[in-house]
Amino acid sequence: MIFLVSQRHTGLAILLLSLMSGFNEDNKASHAQLSSQFFGDLLDSIIVDVASECHRIARLGLDRNLEEEEEELRLSAQARVRVADPSNSGESNSKYVVDIFGQTHPPVANEIFDCMNCGRSIMAGRFAPHLEKCMGKGRKARLKVTRSSTAVQNRYSQGSPVSTYSPYSNSTNTSRLSNGTSGVAGEEYSNGTFQEP
Amino acid sequence: MRASVNRPPTPDVGDTQEKQPTLEEIINIKFIESGEKERLMELLRERLIECGWKDEMKALCRAFVKKKGRNNVTVDDLVHLITPKGRASIPDSIKAELLQRIRTFLVSAAL
Repeated sequence: MIFLVSQRHTGLAILLLSLMSGFNEDNKASHAQLSSQFFGDLLDSIIVDVASECHRIARLGLDRNLEEEEEELRLSAQARVRVADPSNSGESNSKYVVDIFGQTHPPVANEIFDCMNCGRSIMAGRFAPHLEKCMGKGRKARLKVTRSSTAVQNRYSQGSPVSTYSPYSNSTNTSRLSNGTSGVAGEEYSNGTFQEP
Repeated sequence: MRASVNRPPTPDVGDTQEKQPTLEEIINIKFIESGEKERLMELLRERLIECGWKDEMKALCRAFVKKKGRNNVTVDDLVHLITPKGRASIPDSIKAELLQRIRTFLVSAAL
């Protein structure tokens, strides 16, 4: 409580005392009114601050960036709607899926280049299966022995049917072993001189 | 842009001896001196940003600036533009929260 003692405030002190004397209803009403008034003042201050900030942005031309951001927001909202839309199901449009730049891509990549292993012209979408055959996973690949790899294979061939350190062992490995053949499928250093049954 | 532009005028020596400060002014002084006014301002600012009120007001200003031209707009224009809509679009929950705090302070200050 601030007790104002100087002369000019005596009238005011009386006013305060009368307020404190407990006219509850009046107090509540005046409280409500004072509160609203005070809230209004706070709000006005904040409004002026917001207006001043917007004025500054406008005069300094900083709203150019804001417009671009708004455009981006709108476009991304549109895109999100399109993606979530069940009528654009992936299955029906799989051949002609449109990406965010509006381009369509064929389901199989069709750029052509040369395989660095065998030198043939290969289509990009078929490169992985080609490499499998070309570099040694498949049955036929093990027959394709080049001069340099022959020496390597001879050096590393163990002659043992089971190699626990094979990095490429897979299910066909066990099936071949059960057939009584030696060699480990998929291993790069498998001995190419073994004949297949 | 956090400093409030509104500030009560510095009282002259001659004036205050005749005029008695109103209850409103006393309350204002109490609020300011205790730091409660600053806290309430910050709380209100935060709430208004959270609920998107500030963004709405900024959008209004931007639309107005676009229409009138960047260099033809004054702060006064914007204040008059925002004030009616701003006061009307305050969410009730925020208003209630602030009023509650103000009333609590008034009671605790025995006013």
